[in-house]
Amino acid sequence: MPLIIVSSDNFKQGDEIGQKVAGVLGYRYVGRELLTWVASENQVSEEDLARALDDPPGLLARRARRQRMLGYIEAACLNVLLDDNVVCHGLAAHLYVRAVSHALKVRIINEPEQRAEELSQAEGISLDKARKQVLRQTKDERRWSEEAYSLDQTDASLYDLVISLGTLELDKAVEIISDTVSYRKFQPMTYSRKLMQDKALAAGVRLKLMEQFPDIRVEANDGTVVAYIQSLKKDQRKKQEMVRQIAGELPGVRHVEVHIIRDLVGQAAQSSR
Amino acid sequence: MSDNLQVLLLDDEPIVGRRLKPALAKIGCDVDVFEDPEQALAKMAQKEYDVVVTDIRMDQIDGMQVLEFVRDRWPRSKVIMITGYAMMSLAREAMEKGAFDFIAKPFKPDDLRRVIAKAAHALGSDIDFEAVEMEKVNG
Repeated sequence: MPLIIVSSDNFKQGDEIGQKVAGVLGYRYVGRELLTWVASENQVSEEDLARALDDPPGLLARRARRQRMLGYIEAACLNVLLDDNVVCHGLAAHLYVRAVSHALKVRIINEPEQRAEELSQAEGISLDKARKQVLRQTKDERRWSEEAYSLDQTDASLYDLVISLGTLELDKAVEIISDTVSYRKFQPMTYSRKLMQDKALAAGVRLKLMEQFPDIRVEANDGTVVAYIQSLKKDQRKKQEMVRQIAGELPGVRHVEVHIIRDLVGQAAQSSR
Repeated sequence: MSDNLQVLLLDDEPIVGRRLKPALAKIGCDVDVFEDPEQALAKMAQKEYDVVVTDIRMDQIDGMQVLEFVRDRWPRSKVIMITGYAMMSLAREAMEKGAFDFIAKPFKPDDLRRVIAKAAHALGSDIDFEAVEMEKVNG
C-alpha cells in the first residue's frame, strides 16, 4: 500500500495532520521521533539533527556538517519507507522521494495573513512585525531546501496535493488525504518499489562514505552503485579504490563504479604552491 | 484447453519475446508472442488471456491502448506493462487505467516471473515460484 509524505509551512499542523491520517488509515506514523534512533545509531546529537532540518542556511562552514546530518536522516527515513503503509512528516522526505509513484506528496499551507495573526497573538508582537517574520520564514524555508536539495519546497509543482488550511478545516484535510491515497495511481508497483530500494541503497552507501567524501553523490540501480567524488588527479586511483572497497562490502551492492569530478578548487590551490 | 496460465506477450523488439517465452514456460505458462500490436489485438479479440504483458512504446498502437482494449474486452485479464521509458507520470497513468503492474526495462526474467506468479495468485491459480527457484538452485 502507498506512502504519504506530508510537508507543511507549520510544523505542528503537519505533525497533527500526519498523525491523524495515520490513525484513520491504520498506517505507521514516522516523524521527528525517528531522530532519537538516528542520533544513537550514528553517534550524533539529536539536537544537531533537528537543527539541520530546521535552521535557516548559515555559514558555508556549517553547510558540510548539515549535509552530513541530513544524510543520516535520509538514509534512516528511506529504510523506513521501504515498508508499505507509512505516513511521514518532518524529515524532508518530500525532497528525496520525488519520483516514487506510490508516495503521495502533500503540502499543507496557511494563508500568510492568518499565519501573521497567529504569530502576533502567540508572541505578543505587532501584526506588522509578525508579517515581516512570516515573510522571512518563507524565504528561509525556500533557501533551506534549495541549498540542501536544490529544490524549492514551497513550489506547489513538487506535490500531488496542496491543501490550504485558510480554506479547509484541518479535519477536512485529513479526510481529503485519506481519500486521495486510495486512488489506484498511488498503489505500489514493481517499478516504484525498485526505485525506492535503489534510493535506500544509494543513501546507505553515501552514509558509509560521506565522512571521507563529504561531497559524494551516489546513484544505485539494481545493485549497481555509481559514486561521484571530487579528487585531485594524483589521488584519483587511491580514492576510487577506497570507494569501491567500502561500498562493495555493503549488503545489496553487486558492482561499484566511481566517477571523478575534478576538484578544481583543490587543483588551483595545489598548482599555485 | 490446457490448465496452464495463458499469457500473451507483446513487444516490438523480437529479443524480448525470444528471451521471455522460455522463462515463462518454465513456470507453467502457455505463451503467445507478438511483435505487431495489431496482430496481438486481433488475437485478443477472440481469445481471453489470463495475463497480457505489453510494451508501452510501440509504433502505431501503444501499450496504453492495448491496456484499454484488454480492460474493456476482458476485465478479468491482468495486464502487466513493461517499458524502457519508465517515469512516474507514465507509471501512475498505467495504474490508473487498470494495469496490474508496471516494470521498467531492463529487468531480469525472474522479475517478470514473480509478477506473473502474483497475477496468477490474484486469478486464483497459484504458480509455485519457489519450486522453480529451488529447481534452479539444484540444477
